[in-house]
Amino acid sequence: MIKKDPKGDTDSLLEDVRNDYRAFPEMGIKRCLQCGLCTSNCPAARHSDYDPREMVKMVRDNNPEIMNNPDIWNCFYCYTCGSNCPANNSPCIVNQILRQKILLKGENNARIYEFLAYGYSYLDFGVGSIPSDFFDGLVADFGQKYVELKINLEDIRHDLGLEDYNLKGEALEEVKSILSSSGFTSRLEEFKRCHES
Amino acid sequence: MKKIPHKNILLFKSCLVNVEYPGVESSTRYIFDKMGVEYRVDPDQSCCTGLGYYYDLFDQLSTTALAVRNFYLARRSGHENITTLCSTCYAIMKKTIKLLNSNENARQEVNDILKKAGLSHMQYQAGDLSSEHNIFHVVEVFHSLKEKISKEIKLDLSGIKIASHHACHYCKVYPEDSITPSRNPMVLDELSSSCGAQVVDWYDFKKATCGAGFSQRFANRDLSLSATADKLLALEGEADLLLHMCPNCQMQLDRYQPVLEKELGRKLNLTHLNIAQLMALAMGADPYKIAGIQTHSVPLEGLLEKIKNKSPVE
Amino acid sequence: MSTTKSKLEKNHPLTKEEDTKNPEKVGVFLCRCGGNISHTVDMAKLKDSIQADFVGEFENLCSLNCRRHIREEIIDKELDRVVIAACSPITHLKTFQNYADLLNPYMVEMVNIREQCSWVHSDSAKATKKAIELTQSGVEKVKKAQALDKIIRQTEKSAAVFGGGISGITAALSLANQGVKTCIIEKNPTIGGNMVKIGKVFSPEKLAEECSLCILNPIINEVINHKNIRILTKTNLLRAGRRSTHFKIILEKQTGFVHEDLCISCGRCVEVCPVDVPDEWNQKMTTRKAIYKPFAQAVPDVYNIDLENCIRCGKCEKVCTVGAIDFNLKSEIIPLEAGNVVIATGHESFDLNKRPEYGYQRFDDVISQMDLARILGVNGPTQGELLKISDGKRPERVVMVQCTGSRDEKDDGKRYCSKVCCMVALKHASIIRERFPETEVVICYTDMRTVGMYENYLRYVQDKDIKLIRGRPGEVTKKDDKLVVRVEDTLERKPLEIETDMVVLSEAIEPSPGTMRIAQKFNVGLSQDLFIKEKHSKIKPVNTDMERVFVCGTAQGPKDITDSVSQANAAAAKVSEQIKSGTEAEPPVAVIKTSQCNLCGKCMDICGFKAVYRDEENMAIDPMACRGCGACAGQCPQEAIEIKGINDLELYAQIRGLLSDKKEGEIRILAFLDNVGYTAADAIGNNRLCYPEAIRIIKIPSINRIMPHHLMYAFLHGADGVLMAEYPDECMLEAHKAKIKELSESVKNQGIPSDRLRFYKAYAPHYRGLAQQFTRFFEDITREI
Repeated sequence: MIKKDPKGDTDSLLEDVRNDYRAFPEMGIKRCLQCGLCTSNCPAARHSDYDPREMVKMVRDNNPEIMNNPDIWNCFYCYTCGSNCPANNSPCIVNQILRQKILLKGENNARIYEFLAYGYSYLDFGVGSIPSDFFDGLVADFGQKYVELKINLEDIRHDLGLEDYNLKGEALEEVKSILSSSGFTSRLEEFKRCHES
Repeated sequence: MKKIPHKNILLFKSCLVNVEYPGVESSTRYIFDKMGVEYRVDPDQSCCTGLGYYYDLFDQLSTTALAVRNFYLARRSGHENITTLCSTCYAIMKKTIKLLNSNENARQEVNDILKKAGLSHMQYQAGDLSSEHNIFHVVEVFHSLKEKISKEIKLDLSGIKIASHHACHYCKVYPEDSITPSRNPMVLDELSSSCGAQVVDWYDFKKATCGAGFSQRFANRDLSLSATADKLLALEGEADLLLHMCPNCQMQLDRYQPVLEKELGRKLNLTHLNIAQLMALAMGADPYKIAGIQTHSVPLEGLLEKIKNKSPVE
Repeated sequence: MSTTKSKLEKNHPLTKEEDTKNPEKVGVFLCRCGGNISHTVDMAKLKDSIQADFVGEFENLCSLNCRRHIREEIIDKELDRVVIAACSPITHLKTFQNYADLLNPYMVEMVNIREQCSWVHSDSAKATKKAIELTQSGVEKVKKAQALDKIIRQTEKSAAVFGGGISGITAALSLANQGVKTCIIEKNPTIGGNMVKIGKVFSPEKLAEECSLCILNPIINEVINHKNIRILTKTNLLRAGRRSTHFKIILEKQTGFVHEDLCISCGRCVEVCPVDVPDEWNQKMTTRKAIYKPFAQAVPDVYNIDLENCIRCGKCEKVCTVGAIDFNLKSEIIPLEAGNVVIATGHESFDLNKRPEYGYQRFDDVISQMDLARILGVNGPTQGELLKISDGKRPERVVMVQCTGSRDEKDDGKRYCSKVCCMVALKHASIIRERFPETEVVICYTDMRTVGMYENYLRYVQDKDIKLIRGRPGEVTKKDDKLVVRVEDTLERKPLEIETDMVVLSEAIEPSPGTMRIAQKFNVGLSQDLFIKEKHSKIKPVNTDMERVFVCGTAQGPKDITDSVSQANAAAAKVSEQIKSGTEAEPPVAVIKTSQCNLCGKCMDICGFKAVYRDEENMAIDPMACRGCGACAGQCPQEAIEIKGINDLELYAQIRGLLSDKKEGEIRILAFLDNVGYTAADAIGNNRLCYPEAIRIIKIPSINRIMPHHLMYAFLHGADGVLMAEYPDECMLEAHKAKIKELSESVKNQGIPSDRLRFYKAYAPHYRGLAQQFTRFFEDITREI
């Protein structure tokens, strides 16, 4: 069982979004006038079919179809929409909450699968890292120099007078213990299971 | 205007600074040392989870519980002025404190998690920290010291045109806390002009995202690159250097610029530095031993040469 | 309750009070109300039971022939005081005060045996018993009444109008025409305000744009020549002091180094002045000299030196043939006494630099609607030609951005709709399409708000082919030589980049700092959005919360010229009303006994009606503003405040009367009701709802009038419960909260169960709620006992 952020979903999508811990108390989603300012500044709207204004409308209308809309996965989480919104809404945060809800329903798990490595790295070192599955892609883009950087990183850091950044011993145990009792460890397993099954 | 501390600073390590641009941390420490800023780097500090949070992987409570542990470390060592190298660390910790201070249920759940983990001594009470008065970005410390720093500038930057990229998670998540107007962020511009550089100030897409978009960079590479291209093309011919305040943005624009150049079939003639790296260099720091420019994708040697030729020989 | 009672007796000084022999003769007039009362109440029994010097029974006491009866009986029986047992004082007290006009009006007491007895109780015996007790209580109360006079204050027949824009000019002219000496105080060198700048105006009844200066000029001329109007330009308010009949105002008139009476406005000085200054009149798109006249038709028609920019070279002085220029002139302090004040200080435009994403400062051809108004004005920087500032060429396309700074909840935005911008944009679109048909106009809007008759104008402009895009733009940028507006066409679900040559931002209207300064000096309250607040938008419009200070125009909130003019006339009418007849106040009012007052100022702090003020050396209460609620008296540590019109002895007598003849096991509940509560109680009767006979109503100005000792007196004399019902008046909310706390604690301290004292928010239309409250209270107490 995956631990959910807010306790107990209601049957209202709008209320679920408003009550989510990622939301903030004054978030003006109910006051949205559909002016489109968010969309006019949105990098994802500029380069894809994503329309934050429309997403907010569907959430306000409690229209569950929004959960099946692939475009919502295009949001950059740049918060530009919320920083200008005349109604003090934050489509960016609404989007984050929607994605959480979708993933917790066990849907769209392919979208999270490759990112699980970040979580496992965190459990191993107390620090996140770029998910390993993407490394080959990065090397393809960034070239051999990037591989060398990774190989020589410890030396470079040493030259710069920087200490090791990975957690060890008791500190690492504390982090693991927190993530275990917060349900994060099982959340990772659940995401993995959902995708693999 | 919020009060910016110069002591009791916990210099908060960043996962992407660690592995992509470690020179950002060493440059910051170089400047702090020269300016007499009292700070601590805590070996037990865990990462803010920000990337994971925005990969949709971390839930709010796990992120919050880990932050509370870091707050405990800060309080234990008397370094409660948590100062970040990365804009996402900054936003994540502000969010955490706001949630903990205002939402009793969340606070209770987080304290229960800590208790269950055998870490009851780390529990958080409402008001232990303040989002406004305990969380800072290093650029804010630099900004508050800019007159003093400007006296230490050894390089003549007047020949280079500098544009700035103000990280979204610094300006837009909590716009009210930003030290220059969030709709027209000027922190980096003001810092670079105090170093004597020519400032580009406004350019199209100045406030736009770098394009990293967390998962977009990996899962939606073309979309991500389109946004990155908006920014880089707007600066084509406008600036010699783009200044950063966030390792994720720096990675996106520095590492993907050559990728885009290959696709476009032409050079964009733009270089990238973090503000801490630029200021350290301008104060006389070694490019490789302090500023760590060897980890960059777009080479900086040409730019440094140009600056050096103009600067008086010591 | 017995233990409580003995405890109370020990503590209460008034319990031993005996009725002194009252030599005053009281007459009681009972009304049958054409059966409305007599069908339920046994009139014979009522008449027999009342102890008074005269008791008479009449069919319709309010009928005119009863006026004769009442007068005759007063003379005949030598009555000093009168009780009318009939219907509600809310509707009929004035009538009976008039019928008994041989006596002081406060010697007439009304007892409501219709709405509170025959109409709400069906059991005849019980209703009769209650009617007897109510009437007898009225007799006891009226014995304690004090004769009072109406308070007459003659407000001085003069007015100070702050602001010389269209609103101030209109108000001043109306007042002057009614014979009121009026002074217009304007901070700028000319009157005329924004209207003279905007060139063309729209109106609700015409599908055309009219020349604003042409409309305004005759009015301004009338103002200049009016014997009752004095105009002070370049003048600021320094201090304002309040007196009972007027304000003492200290003004400062800035010097322009020009003798206004000598200057003949020949303009020679301008030709020689070497200093160029951005010209505010043209929105800084052109320059003027350091010596200047804002525009050709400025009033007063004189030149002024702009002290800030003048380099004191003296060239102008040399060429002035009439010797009007004098660099030794100083600013002048002008004292002014005015009976009334009208605030007509107008608005300012939203600072467009707060929306840097639209590039107002960055790009020459991003301008405001006011800038465009000047460009389209024939006396503007381009003589009315639509030309770009950047290159002087005609734009092929103009894009207008609505709601710039308006309807925006972000920190530096304005939460309200600025109300005029849709019409201003349409007006300019109309002019452009008419005069420069080759230029396309696009308006990006969230809602087109062309309310009322203005919808006709929208259609008229739409017919001229404009493009409306429903979306709020995010940013304005520049690509090559073109401006680009980024906006989502929300109806098409499509983010657009509109290339254009000119962008016009429809800037929000915002309150001016000058308005806020004046409000502060006159102690006038502001709205949430920092405009001047009306006392009540429905029943006290144009009044501020300060007596004799009125507001009109955009100082009160965003509005167009048509509405500003209406409001200015309304303000003038209200000033006139104040001067002619609005100078009579009726008790209850609070009065300060100056000899006992130690000037602590607590009364001033608690009074939400702003009736209390500090005179030169004393605290004073303006009877015109006072409601007699008694909050101040409750705060006064010196007991220096008396409430005229409902004294303690009357209250005690009434309480005692309403609790008299209480049988074993009977329950009595006193209900203290303010005017709204009392009206609701009347409505219970009018609608023939029922409530228990145990409820006994006392009409009070406010619960603030009730002190703990009144409550103790009631409980001691047998009250089983006390209900306090009042309309929650916004400006006294704090005082109410304090009062509720004080009374609740006093009850608690005396060991009385806390649920025996109840508070209720009364609303006149929600009389059913009050009736239910009566019944529930009674049932709760019955259950307990």
